[in-house]
Amino acid sequence: MKAIIHLVEYDFRNFFRYKWWLAGLISMNLADLLIMAVVYNQMLSPEITELIRSYISFFAPGVTVVGLFASAFMIGREINMEVRRQIHHYMLSLPITRLELAVGRLLAGGLRGMMYMTPLLLTTFIIVGFPTPLQLLIILGALFLLATGIAGVSIAIAVSISSFEKFITARGLIYYLLFFCSSIFYPLTLIQKLGQEGIMPQPFVTLAELNPLSNCANLIRAFLLGNPPFTLDMIRNLIVFSAVFVGTATVAYMKIIQRK
Amino acid sequence: MRPMRKILLVVERDLRRFIQYKFLVILRTIWFGAQVAFFGLIASRMVVPELADIYFEFYIAGVVIMMLYSSSVFIGYDIFEEAEHGVFEYLLSLPVSRRELVLGRSIGGGIRSFILVGPIIAITLAIIGWANLPNLLLAFTALFLFAFGVSGMSITIAVTLKSGDHFDIFMGVLSAFIVRLSTTMYPQAFVQDASQAYAILSQFNPVTYASDLFRWGTGIERYLTMSPMPLAALIGIVIFFFLFTLVGVTFYEKRLEGGGWQ
Repeated sequence: MKAIIHLVEYDFRNFFRYKWWLAGLISMNLADLLIMAVVYNQMLSPEITELIRSYISFFAPGVTVVGLFASAFMIGREINMEVRRQIHHYMLSLPITRLELAVGRLLAGGLRGMMYMTPLLLTTFIIVGFPTPLQLLIILGALFLLATGIAGVSIAIAVSISSFEKFITARGLIYYLLFFCSSIFYPLTLIQKLGQEGIMPQPFVTLAELNPLSNCANLIRAFLLGNPPFTLDMIRNLIVFSAVFVGTATVAYMKIIQRK
Repeated sequence: MRPMRKILLVVERDLRRFIQYKFLVILRTIWFGAQVAFFGLIASRMVVPELADIYFEFYIAGVVIMMLYSSSVFIGYDIFEEAEHGVFEYLLSLPVSRRELVLGRSIGGGIRSFILVGPIIAITLAIIGWANLPNLLLAFTALFLFAFGVSGMSITIAVTLKSGDHFDIFMGVLSAFIVRLSTTMYPQAFVQDASQAYAILSQFNPVTYASDLFRWGTGIERYLTMSPMPLAALIGIVIFFFLFTLVGVTFYEKRLEGGGWQ
């Protein structure tokens, strides 16, 4: 346990080296919320307004999830850099088992995402309203599952791809697909409706429904806005996502990093 | 060698370097695809009925301008990379004046972004069409000036800031605000309804002028901001172009002397 805590501390120290980058990222998220969402609020059709109340309230949980995603993904960039600069040899020489190394990095990635997301979540609460203590615990648990799952995805990609450019491209593909094919910017019912009309291909509709970003944003909305209704499927999907990618990343990190 | 020939050589060098950025091209293409196939399509179902029938076309035209802006900014990153790798010293040793160097880089940056956005513009025109060819050509000419102006702005900021990280963050924040406080994503009438302050900033934004001109060129004229069109937007773009090309040249010249970039 102590070794894992040391690794988490190491990754947190690295995280604070990017404080300007983090400030930039926060201001971009706030620009989305305070400018884009405010203008879109004026453009909503009456049916959508009835469904989501206001775009600002609807989008605030989405921005929280976007911020969490971007910051939890950063661990992959650092690990990719370590592999390219052979720093992983130093990591492997430490008196820490491979499993502790993998778990420590995953945990650090998830916790860094949680830390970055906290001011955005507070802003969401201020805008939309505060949840009950039980709801807050469930929201934090769901966000943590999402953060570790995302850290897992980014670590798995980082150790599998040695070229930085390819890593950036893979990251971009995942970012855009998961951001836009989700309920972060628009209600899931709209994507489902486009699917029923045959405009949106069914695989994309399924992806949007199973997308962990959709599930997490909708879970926060369920507690704060009452719509969409809370279902256990949201939690189940997040647990499956997190378990699959935490497992994949642990195995990939332990095996691939030893081979390189 | 004549000054024009030297400028062309600088432009050629920047265009050759651009081939290295094939991953950037792939990333931008994925981003455009996601914006059009998801956001544009779905958001057009969210908006009020009077906007819904043209919002998809309106939004795609805005995405093109966002891409043109972000690609033109990229020349600033090259400048930092050159400073880090000692290429500046080599550039300064060439028989090319500082002014020719920065003019060439500004033009090279603008042309590069047009090469990058060219296929995207072609796809966009295939989707939304155009009504009047002379209008479209006039809009393209103005967009060239816009791209050169943004490259000039990026060069000016790059030589003003000494840290590559600070430049990265500053440009990220600036882009976030300059794009959101423009009419790339939404018509000015709705920005006005949302906030008077946003509307004022949006009205004096070069990205708004470029979006208006491109939409005017493609025949999407219902929600144009500037009046009279295209004169008002053209004047805005020309002022932006001259301001930043001039400021960029002056700053770059001053910074290059005595190792000011280090």
